[in-house]
Amino acid sequence: MSLDRFFSNIAGYMDHYLVLPVLYHFHWMAWDDLAFDWCLICVYGLFAVFVTYAVCLPLEAWKPVEKWPDQKAVLVDVFYTFLNRVGVVPIVTFVLFYQVQTWTTGFVVERGFIPPTLDSLIPGLLGHPLLTFLLYALILDFADYWRHRLSHSFRWWYALHSLHHAQRQMSFWSDDRNHLIDDTISFLWFFIIGLIIGIPPLQFPLLLMGLKFIESLSHANIRLSFGPLEWLTVSPRFHRFHHGLRAAGRNSCNYASVFPVWDIIFRTADFRDEYLPTGDAHAPEALATGNYVQQQVTGLKLFWRALGKSWISLGMGRAA
Amino acid sequence: MLTRRTALTLPFALTATPAWAAGNPLAFVLNSAAGSVSIIDMQTRQVVRTAPTYREPSHWALTRNRSQLLICDAGGNALFFFDPVTGAPLGHRRIADPYQIGFTPNNKYFAVNALRLDFVDIYDATTLALVKRFKAGLWPSHLDFSPDSRWSFHSMQNSNTLVSLDLTTLTKRWSVKVGETPAGVLWLNGKVLVCIMGARGFVEVDPLNGRITRRVVTGDGAHNIFLDTRRNILYVSNRGPGQTGLTALDPETFEILHNYLIPGGPDDIGIDPSGHIWVCLRYAESVAVLNPDTGAYSTIPVGRSPHGIFLSTLLRQKGLITAERI
Repeated sequence: MSLDRFFSNIAGYMDHYLVLPVLYHFHWMAWDDLAFDWCLICVYGLFAVFVTYAVCLPLEAWKPVEKWPDQKAVLVDVFYTFLNRVGVVPIVTFVLFYQVQTWTTGFVVERGFIPPTLDSLIPGLLGHPLLTFLLYALILDFADYWRHRLSHSFRWWYALHSLHHAQRQMSFWSDDRNHLIDDTISFLWFFIIGLIIGIPPLQFPLLLMGLKFIESLSHANIRLSFGPLEWLTVSPRFHRFHHGLRAAGRNSCNYASVFPVWDIIFRTADFRDEYLPTGDAHAPEALATGNYVQQQVTGLKLFWRALGKSWISLGMGRAA
Repeated sequence: MLTRRTALTLPFALTATPAWAAGNPLAFVLNSAAGSVSIIDMQTRQVVRTAPTYREPSHWALTRNRSQLLICDAGGNALFFFDPVTGAPLGHRRIADPYQIGFTPNNKYFAVNALRLDFVDIYDATTLALVKRFKAGLWPSHLDFSPDSRWSFHSMQNSNTLVSLDLTTLTKRWSVKVGETPAGVLWLNGKVLVCIMGARGFVEVDPLNGRITRRVVTGDGAHNIFLDTRRNILYVSNRGPGQTGLTALDPETFEILHNYLIPGGPDDIGIDPSGHIWVCLRYAESVAVLNPDTGAYSTIPVGRSPHGIFLSTLLRQKGLITAERI
């Protein structure tokens, strides 16, 4: 049995024995078709976490950059990971994206147009799924490079993003530690891209998982670079430099999530072979070691304060 | 991409039989979550080719001259065209959200249920030019026509209604509540049968006024309904929760003849000349081939979430061929 079919079967059981009875009971059977997709998202998310754990944990034990007396600060990152990859967040994101995309498509279609997708715009892509996926991945990673870079450029945005950088015990669990508002901005950002190029094909869940794996690995507490292939995909060393104490804040480097080529093109790449301590020296302690709620509340307060300062700066004619 | 005028008149010379077509009858399985069509040699029961679509193929229709198989790709906003004999791809055409489609028996119109966008679109069957768009309810799901092509019937999955259109005046005739989450629709013996996923069976509706005349219990999540025209047996696929499978019924009396238990989310079916029933298993990435005499079945691995299925052996059959008359 192929891996893909194995996942489908698990999602099928989950749908049949957990989700469908709930839909049936509450008279929501209209969602029956989509329910299977929700289950697939959860199953693939769970598998991604498992693979990341299975690969990164031994690597972190083998060649750690830092050794910590305890790992309490990592626990909250584990919670973020499950919430973002297996739990409520991907399903809510999926449903929201589906609904909003449906409304906008309907709006466009009623005016006599059919919204394009990347593979419908470029002749020859149909029937070449790997090439199609690579193009989508490059475009989305390019968009993510600029989202990330801009999140370091605006005071109010970095106030949110500092939650991600505050972690001094950065590990493969740290990829998903973000403020909810920051996640919402990311969602909107990718939603606009999705509208322009079409929703990336959901028929490549294993490849999508591969990209998420690279992002998790890049946060791992591992003394590892990809040597001459360092320019190809983001390595733990490359991304650690971005998280380095010297690099946190508004003058950072190495913004790319998967493909460092964007940093090379826009001259923000730093390939120095150094493994710096991570964290944000200016971030409140609650962002580094607080629990989930404390981190979210502190992030919100920082954001609110920074927004006010940006507003005042704007009124005085200075850059925010 | 096809132009509007050439959409349904492609020269056959363009589609010379490729090497992979061995001449055996083919099964086309529409993998909704894989964006592909698995083409199976029905004799060897092996997938001989996987044809790409953009996003989400769901249902099919055959042109009245039987030269082209049209496959919906709702998420990709496209119709894909295949040679139903050789499986050769004949191109595609952009069209808004085709989820379920059908040609009227008189071949005047081509109807599209746009499930996500809440449209029922009526196109010219020859040119595929949009004639009229109806906003008749939420989540238009399945459809069928009266044999004289005067009326169409559309289940509205999220309005819980069945809607009838008058295709001579292009107006809405009526809309009636039929039950929670209506899905499969079939005109049979002067009545319209509608599967009700939230009510364990189907209802029989009087096409004149939309009045429900009978309710028949088959199983949880009764999703789609088919008529085996050769053996005159009615089948309902029950997708659960609870026990899933197929219910075989007498099309006159609706007496239940057999219940076949098939796990994996049975959806659309096809019936081959030997009487074996090919069942798409949405949650098992496979097609079950069921022997209705013994209830035993084997499975053929296909793509993720197989939804609709077309068997090219249908082409030998006389009379009207639709996804529900097999």
